[in-house]
Amino acid sequence: MPARTLLKKLKGVLGEHIGQAWVPRPHRAFFSVRRDELHDVVEALVNRFDIKHLSTITGVDTGEELELLYHFWDYDVCFTVKITLPREKPCIKTLTDIVPGALFYEREVHDLLGVEFEEHPDLSPLVLPDGWEEGHPLLKDWSPP
Amino acid sequence: MAQRLVIPIGPQHPALKEPLGFRFRVEGERVLETHIRMGYVHRGIERALQERSYIQALYLVERVCGICSHIHTTAFCQGVEELLGLEIPPRALYIRTIVCELERIHSHLLWLGVIGRDAGFETLFMYTWRDRETVLDILEEISGNRINYAVNTFGGVRIDLTSAQIESIPKRLDYLEEQAHYYLKLVTTEATFVARTHGVGYLSREDGRAFCVVGPTIRASGVDRDVRRDDPYAAYEELPFQVVTATEGDALARTVVRVKEVIESVRMIRHALHNLPEGEVRVRVRRRIPPGEVISRVEAPRGELIYYIKSDGTERPARVKIRAPTLANMVAVPHMLKGAHIADIPIVVAAIDLCIACADR
Amino acid sequence: MLEGLVRWARRKSPWILHFNAGGCNGCDIELLDALTPRFDVERLGILEKATPRHADVLVCAGPVTRQARDRLLRIYEQVPEPKWVVAIGSCACSGGIFRGCYNVLGGIDQVIPVDMYVPGCPCKPEAIIDGLVKLLRSI
Repeated sequence: MPARTLLKKLKGVLGEHIGQAWVPRPHRAFFSVRRDELHDVVEALVNRFDIKHLSTITGVDTGEELELLYHFWDYDVCFTVKITLPREKPCIKTLTDIVPGALFYEREVHDLLGVEFEEHPDLSPLVLPDGWEEGHPLLKDWSPP
Repeated sequence: MAQRLVIPIGPQHPALKEPLGFRFRVEGERVLETHIRMGYVHRGIERALQERSYIQALYLVERVCGICSHIHTTAFCQGVEELLGLEIPPRALYIRTIVCELERIHSHLLWLGVIGRDAGFETLFMYTWRDRETVLDILEEISGNRINYAVNTFGGVRIDLTSAQIESIPKRLDYLEEQAHYYLKLVTTEATFVARTHGVGYLSREDGRAFCVVGPTIRASGVDRDVRRDDPYAAYEELPFQVVTATEGDALARTVVRVKEVIESVRMIRHALHNLPEGEVRVRVRRRIPPGEVISRVEAPRGELIYYIKSDGTERPARVKIRAPTLANMVAVPHMLKGAHIADIPIVVAAIDLCIACADR
Repeated sequence: MLEGLVRWARRKSPWILHFNAGGCNGCDIELLDALTPRFDVERLGILEKATPRHADVLVCAGPVTRQARDRLLRIYEQVPEPKWVVAIGSCACSGGIFRGCYNVLGGIDQVIPVDMYVPGCPCKPEAIIDGLVKLLRSI
C-alpha cells in the first residue's frame, strides 16, 4: 500500500518527530507533529525527500483547541501533517522560507481563524475586507455582528 | 532615465470579468513588482456550509463558481460518500465522468475566447463561444440547465442518459473535435497571436514546483502531473487517456495544452458513451453522516481542487475547506510578471485561467 | 419633436456596462453569451462598454458583498443621466442562495434603485434579452 510505504520511509528518517499516524485508504495518510518541530519536518520533506507540493493548509476550530492541517502530495500519496495550537495564543513559525507556495494559504488561515504566522512577509487580509474589525469568522464562538 | 510609478488597476476594469485589484510598481514600460488584492468576491461560503444541512450544502457548493460547478459537487459528494463508506454504481460514475469532461471542454473553450479577446483577437472569442454553445446544448439536454446542472447527489447522479441521447451526442462531439483541431492550427500558426503569447509569462519547472502551481499552467512547464491519472476518482481508472504536457512554459504553451486537452476530453467522452455500463444510477443514503474526516481531490479544468470535509455525526458538516486551483496559481503571478511589459499584463494574468469566484469563495 | 428623436435613439441603442458585485460568474458568462453569435444582442443596438461614462444601462450580477458596496455606488454615480439598472440572476435580485452569509449585504436594491429584475440561477441569455427589451419598451 503506497501510504504505508511512504510512512515507513518518513519514519525511517524523522522517526522521533512523527507522532500518532493512521492510514484510512491506500493513497491517504495522516500523522501528527509537535508545533515546534513542524519547520524541521517540512525542511526534511522538501530537501531530503523532494516533496515540494503543499496542496493547502486547513484550519479547524475543534472547540477546545485549533488544529492546522498541512496537506502535502508526493505525486502518489496525499498525506496530512496535523498540528494543534492553544486557543489563547495560536502562533506558529511560517513555512514560506522553504515552501513559497504557502504564502496565500497562511494569510487565509490568519484572516479566518486568527493564527499568527511568525516571520511571514505580509499578513495583510486576503479575503476579508480592509478595515474588518469583527473578529475571525471561522472560530466556533464567533457570531455575526 | 525611465520614471518609476505605481499603477493601480481594478477592481473594476474591462480586461477581467471579475473584480480583482492590482498595484503595479513600474519603471518605464517594465513591471518591477506586483501586489494583488483579492477578496472582492468573498461571500463567506465555508462558514455558511457549517450552518446548513448536507443536502443544502450541496446546492451551495455548486454555486461557488458558475464555470466549474459540477467538479465542486463531484468533490463534495465523493468526500461524503467516502465518510458513508458507500459503493457507487458504475453507471453513475461514468455519467459523472462524462459531465466532468463536458465541463472541461466548455471551460477551455470559454478560456480560449477570453484570451483571444485579451490578445485583441475578437474573432476567436466569437468562434469559440459559438462552438461552446454545442456543449451547453448537450448539457441542457441531459440535465435541464446550461450552467449549474445539479447532476450529482449523494449516492450517485440524479439523471440518466436515454439511448436517443447516447446516439446523438457523438455526432456533435465529432464537430467539436474538428473545431479543436482547427483552433490548434490557428493558435500555433496565426502570427499576431503567436507574437503576443510566445515567451510571455514564462514559468520554469523549478519555480512552478516551488510555488505549488497546479493544472495546465504547470503541465505547460513540463511537470507531468494530473489528479485524474495519479489519484484516480469516478470512472477515470477505466478510461484510457493521455496527460498533455509542453515544455516551453509560456502563455502559448498553456494555450496549446488546453486545446489538446479538449481533444483528449472528446475522446474520453466518446469512449465512456460507447462503454456505458448498465444498472441503476443511485443508491439510497442514510441521513446521518458518521463522524470522520476525509480529503477529496479532483482535477478541475484549472487544476487540482481539494476538499477537506470533517463530520461530527450531526446533520451539518463540522468543517468544509475548499482550496480552488486559482488560489494555488495566483501566488506565481507576481513572479511571472517581473520584468514584463505593461501591455503583456492581461495575457499573463489570463493565461493561468483565473476564476476569482472559486479562489475567494 | 427633438424629444421624440432622442427617445427613439435611446431605445434603439442602449449601451451596457457589466458590473460583477460578487457572484459566482454564472450570470456573467450568460450575459457575455448574449453577445456571441447565437444570441447576438448587437443587432438590437446593445454594445458592451468598458467605462461607466459611455453606458446607459448598468447590468449587475451577483449578491452585493461588503467590498463591492462603495464601488457599486461610485460607478452608479458615474453613469450619466438618464440611466437604468437591471439586476440579473436571483442573487442580484434578492441575495439568492447567499442570503444570510456574513459578507453579503443582499440584492442590488440594497444599494441602488433597480428598474428591472431578471430572475434565474443563472438566468438564460433569452431571459436577459427579454428583460432588456421590456425595459426599452418602457422608455
